[in-house]
Amino acid sequence: MANQFDVVVIGAGPAGYVCAIRAAQLGLKTACIEKWTDDKGKTKLGGTCLNVGCIPSKALLDSSHKFVEAQKDFKLHGINHSGVEMDVPQMVARKDKIVDQLTGGVGGLFKANKVTLFEGAGKVLANKQIELTKGDGSVEIIDTKNVVIATGSRPVEIPPTPTDGDLIVDSTGALQFQETPKRLGVIGAGVIGLELGSVWGRLGSEVIVLEAMDRFLAAADEQISKESLKIFKKQGLDIRMSARVTASEIKGKEVHVTYSDADGNDNVVVFDKLIVAVGRRPYTESLLSPDCGVNMDERGFIFVDEHCATDVPGVYAIGDVVRGPMLAHKGSEEGIMVADIIAGHVGHMNYELIPSVIYTHPEIAWVGKTEQELKAEGVDYKMGTFPFAASGRALAANEKEGMVKVISDVKSDRILGIHVVGPSAAELVQQGVIAMEFAASTEDLALTIFSHPTLSEALHEAVLAVDGQAIHIANRKRR
Amino acid sequence: EDPILSPAARKIAEEKGIDPAAIAGTGKGGRVTKEDVVRHAEAKPAA
Repeated sequence: MANQFDVVVIGAGPAGYVCAIRAAQLGLKTACIEKWTDDKGKTKLGGTCLNVGCIPSKALLDSSHKFVEAQKDFKLHGINHSGVEMDVPQMVARKDKIVDQLTGGVGGLFKANKVTLFEGAGKVLANKQIELTKGDGSVEIIDTKNVVIATGSRPVEIPPTPTDGDLIVDSTGALQFQETPKRLGVIGAGVIGLELGSVWGRLGSEVIVLEAMDRFLAAADEQISKESLKIFKKQGLDIRMSARVTASEIKGKEVHVTYSDADGNDNVVVFDKLIVAVGRRPYTESLLSPDCGVNMDERGFIFVDEHCATDVPGVYAIGDVVRGPMLAHKGSEEGIMVADIIAGHVGHMNYELIPSVIYTHPEIAWVGKTEQELKAEGVDYKMGTFPFAASGRALAANEKEGMVKVISDVKSDRILGIHVVGPSAAELVQQGVIAMEFAASTEDLALTIFSHPTLSEALHEAVLAVDGQAIHIANRKRR
Repeated sequence: EDPILSPAARKIAEEKGIDPAAIAGTGKGGRVTKEDVVRHAEAKPAA
């Protein structure tokens, strides 16, 4: 037996690489398998998040936001310049450099923690054996006591708009445009569609976002999603709800997209580039041998319990390939939980408090329950809001759009949800996540000292507003 | 009502098999802190 491991992780994305590092830290003999390679055949660690997801999209969002600020906001501060230009290839090259640095960093962490890297495709056989198919086609069997499947997700394709890698692209292609498309179509007004639409809209694309659902950001708190939609429309994003794409046709260098609107009428819009961002699906291609014993649910996710255990003892699955929100921090925490369990420790993960962030500008973030969820559950709640327009720090920064909203239980005052659209939304929500992990009441946060002037004060004031005690806004009359 | 435990208190109580209801919480409103669980475990070592 050439290879015998305690743990073999399949996939080196945020779920898999974190799991492998934690398992190695806990003294387990650990290997990680990754098949993703760049066009030169070099293995790429870090998965979707580092290579074509979280990190590259944030790099482009930050670059494009600076461009907008320079173009539109600098004058306000008294900063005059004779014109700003965006060099798109340079912006994309900077992004690629960051990606290279971080993915290389994962390789360094593997070495430092003595995680064995296998380059190739892993397949789960019966009896927890792993078949490794390398780039050159050779096959090797790896024996292991535990298997962790972390194979991630792929963009969903829809029949009316097959991607061609040129005019019709998925999120990966949209991170690689070498020039700003004049007319850009985005199918899907979810996180990915909004972020990518924002990047290219800021650089001058005329953006139309087509969304099949009738409610904007259905998972977010309704008040926050309404406020956000208003802000995005003001920024020039043409977001069309209840727009169901039925067909597309490539004519020369143009994409003609047909969609039916809320009234059932057909409309045709013409784009230079079209991004399909309708969702992501679990990726399990060639992963499971028919007799391995691991089962999938009806949507193609690997079936697991609350501790990410599959139907086969010693085989776990984590991240986008299993149920729950498709978020990097969710996958990573599952990786830690599973490594802990394999090492014989208690493994725990609080699925109630996974924060969500949309990195538009202003940013949108939330944790816990939305007002509509609490209504549906019949919970007696109270809530307070605070607008950034009343925050001294926000005004100084010229970031006056958006608001903080805090919801708590009427009887216990325990905080149930925190929702923010505005500057540093993710950081403000994170303060709430910490408080909520300790079962904080709004009174707990009200009694906490917040620095002045900071954006965090908006959270403090929203918390005070829950009981009509905000200082810097007129409080709403209690019912 | 269920006792409220801090994240670390939750983990240690589960590891040591301690019933959270048996721990005297010294935090606000009787919340059980990491210190409370550690003190409880030291006073009554698990069988």
